[in-house]
Amino acid sequence: MPTIAELASPNPGYSYAFLDEFAKRELRRRILKAIAIPGYQVPYASRELPIARGWGTGGLQVTLSLVGPDDVVKVIDQGADDSVNAANLRRFVARMAGVATTTDALNATLIQSRHRIPEERLQEYQTLVLQVPDPEPLRSVEHDISKARLLHAEADYGLLWLRLYEQLVRYRRVTLGASYPCVVNGRYVMSPSPIPRWDVPKLHRAAHLTLLSAGREKRVYAVPPYTDVRPLEFADVPFRVEDQRGWTCRHTGLQHKFMSELPQPGGGTLYEISDTGFVEKVIARSRAAEVSIGATYYDDAGRFYIDGYLR
Amino acid sequence: MYVAARGGEGAIQNAERLYRELIGHFDAETVRTIERAMPYLIDRVMGEGSLYAPELAALALAQSGGDLYEAVLMLRAFRSTQPRLAYARVVDAERMLVVRRISAAFKDIPGGQVLGPTLDYSHRVLDLAVLEGEPTTQPRGHEELEKDEPFESLYLRGEKNHLPLVADWQRDAGLLPMLPVHPCQEATEIPDVTREPLLFPAPRAMRLQSLSRADTGGVLALGYANMRGYGAVHPTVNEVRLGYADVEIVHPITGEPFSIGRVRVTHAEVVTAVEAAPAGNDASAGEPAKLQLALGFCATVGWNEVKTIAGAMLDMAMDLPDPHPSHTEEYVLYHTDPVESSGFCIHYKLPHYVTFGSELDVVRSVGAAKKVSGLGDYYGDGSGLAAGMPGVYSERATPPVSEAAGEQV
Amino acid sequence: MTDTCDNGRDAPRCVPASIPLLVTQKPLVQVRGLVKRYGGRVVAVDRLDLEVYAGEVLGIVGESGSGKSTVLRVLNLEERPDSGEYYFNTPELAGLNLFALDRPAQRRVRTFEIGIVYQNPHLGLRMRNTSSGNIAERLITAGERNYRALRLAARDALAASEFPLERMDDLPIRLSGGMQQRVQLAKAIALKPKLLLLDEPTTGLDVSVQARVLDTLKRLQRETGVTTIIVSHDLGVIRMLADRVMVMRRGRVVERGLTDQVLEDPQDPYTQQLVHAKL
Repeated sequence: MPTIAELASPNPGYSYAFLDEFAKRELRRRILKAIAIPGYQVPYASRELPIARGWGTGGLQVTLSLVGPDDVVKVIDQGADDSVNAANLRRFVARMAGVATTTDALNATLIQSRHRIPEERLQEYQTLVLQVPDPEPLRSVEHDISKARLLHAEADYGLLWLRLYEQLVRYRRVTLGASYPCVVNGRYVMSPSPIPRWDVPKLHRAAHLTLLSAGREKRVYAVPPYTDVRPLEFADVPFRVEDQRGWTCRHTGLQHKFMSELPQPGGGTLYEISDTGFVEKVIARSRAAEVSIGATYYDDAGRFYIDGYLR
Repeated sequence: MYVAARGGEGAIQNAERLYRELIGHFDAETVRTIERAMPYLIDRVMGEGSLYAPELAALALAQSGGDLYEAVLMLRAFRSTQPRLAYARVVDAERMLVVRRISAAFKDIPGGQVLGPTLDYSHRVLDLAVLEGEPTTQPRGHEELEKDEPFESLYLRGEKNHLPLVADWQRDAGLLPMLPVHPCQEATEIPDVTREPLLFPAPRAMRLQSLSRADTGGVLALGYANMRGYGAVHPTVNEVRLGYADVEIVHPITGEPFSIGRVRVTHAEVVTAVEAAPAGNDASAGEPAKLQLALGFCATVGWNEVKTIAGAMLDMAMDLPDPHPSHTEEYVLYHTDPVESSGFCIHYKLPHYVTFGSELDVVRSVGAAKKVSGLGDYYGDGSGLAAGMPGVYSERATPPVSEAAGEQV
Repeated sequence: MTDTCDNGRDAPRCVPASIPLLVTQKPLVQVRGLVKRYGGRVVAVDRLDLEVYAGEVLGIVGESGSGKSTVLRVLNLEERPDSGEYYFNTPELAGLNLFALDRPAQRRVRTFEIGIVYQNPHLGLRMRNTSSGNIAERLITAGERNYRALRLAARDALAASEFPLERMDDLPIRLSGGMQQRVQLAKAIALKPKLLLLDEPTTGLDVSVQARVLDTLKRLQRETGVTTIIVSHDLGVIRMLADRVMVMRRGRVVERGLTDQVLEDPQDPYTQQLVHAKL
């Protein structure tokens, strides 16, 4: 018979990848369910982590439940690898799972991101984990979660369409910024997390698996590979990505990648590509270094790689 | 192994170092002092952290410089890594070692009112003399205690500390409905809010667990709104009891229950008159509605009267047929978790320049749309559509944003 | 519209050409044994049977609390009855008890086949959406995903209910009571329903406004021939619009018949009381 002391602490440290096996198993099961029902929000228990709630604990739990010793992990926030929050999360994953980390989107097997999808097309061997503050696309029209679940169950999304209609009447355009609601696999409407509209098309028929996880709200959902993702749009009022034509990256001279805007003292603005891993590689190549840069979702003229998706 | 090191990581380390310097040195003695000197603070952190560990709560307070939310988060994060070794037996409130117990519903109650330790009837006057070096007067009870003997020893010696519940008297008198037979026979069957998602309507166990670890301030704010009239109730405090409860587990070999320790607990009940649910359909047609008492309940580890009284009021409000929107189960339980609410609040400090950029894009294009003359009201005659729908890439009517950006930002 | 129909009371009853079908055809709407209770105690509607023929206007009268508005809410499938059957004799729905359908199926029926105008516009309209949006929502629910089509349909429906089009994008909360009822009406008829339910549609409006809204209702009914059930405590409204009438008291029907017959020569003491009180 084991003693209490043996039971209590077989290993004074933490479990591999921090979460205990019970938690990891639960989350993996929920993830499988999420993959089986694209866009459907699967509730999960959501453990407290030593990171503040609302700071990526949802994404982090998914990453920790999936990561293995052979993985290479990339963590970005607003597209940047070196933002303090991304650095903090990357440090935690590396410390708890002993994995290699990278800033190169192509090298990573597991990418955890807040608010962005990299510019290079992700591949079948990759999993993208998006941090989600609010998983409920119906929140703006139905704040009661129990009622919203009923609307999802009945695919009753009239209120969201009405919201678009009202915006068109009032502003003559759809005024949704980031977190643009999308229909997944022709069934569930999901929030793609607060990625810019620029990134929404990247989810459509993507080669990679996308997992979206909200730790505070305790929901995980998924876009499996090669699944239809379509933004809500009226047949005669096409969905529009952010208009950044004429914006040129101050580091690379490139256009037609998603840019951050940098106000300058005394007025005026500079721009830089928000995907810092990509910028790093473009700069390295310009210095004749040996780097491989993958095909991007948008070409140098701003055309999306799937013809006809953006009208 | 290649680790992507960045400026961000150095910044994090520096920020944390500065914070440590601000807080200054602390050691095991500091932690023990905090634990001894501030039992109510410790109790609050343990209750919200849902982990009964006074020493760890004190450590969390020391480490966080007294930031309550940070301390609670640390305790919870530690808790979530701990294995579950055993399930305690249900605590029978009558077997609690009661140190304080009052009822506002009756002048006297079976077992009597026990004032116990409280500041309720004291003058809240700062004892400025302490600052001048005068010692505080030695509490009388402490003369009876040996050195380092715990406070509850005072009560362990008495005999009148196991007191019947007021609610049981009311149940016997037919004023309160009898307790239902508990659906969970084994402790392991009780839904656990830390291991399963909270969905609505929530199982009662999960509701009470959520209230038990809720943010004291949050529960108070919503409960206070209820008390001020945003609820259809005028509840009466049926009983508040503070005391010690034995945590009993069943011995894995002998099968006998035994106590593995004693924890401070608070238990509050409020009652109010509500309309009884109609018994049948046709049978009762035309009969006048009946009134009966309903009970609101809240309990937590540690001594925390404010939270449990407000929590019991909320428990009752949530059960009423048409609660105020801010007193529905979903609203109360989602908005009173200290870790979630504080975490989300401070997350707004994180960079949001991608989402903000997306929003600026919308603001600019709508601002532009308003300047376009002759757009007119679009009644669907087709003429206005292509030309009048800003957002259409080819039809932009403003100068490129880069030129206008300086003045618009 | 014929001249004889225009001036209410004194004109001979405008009998739609389909009246003889009453004898030979199955009714469009059939309700059998409808029971609705509240809180287990109050029986709001007690074993009600009801039939409405295509193109017909059925009036339901009774004082408040008689259960007449409950009937409409139940027929609009927004409340489930305790028991009863409800049939639409259309090719798609024949033989289906609408009360027994699941929620999404009921929503489809409510969207495509039924329109309703409530006495209280807050029940029928989203006050924070534009008037046109209130109508567009119905078309959205029906699957329309073309913005232009939504605008056109909203405009047409509002025009048909004689709503001033320059205000189509105003919030209903800013409109007068009469205009709010016209928005409700436009919403109700936007998808050309089989059945139009009117719950005290003009109660609470000024007399002159009431008359104009009634004129619109009457004209629309003539033009579209939509089968209608109107609930009112106002016998004048019933007299003007209804072909047949049903008198309800405490959840039960106490008398039914052709409007003229019932109102001129009431048989039931309660109806007599109602008619005399009105006179």
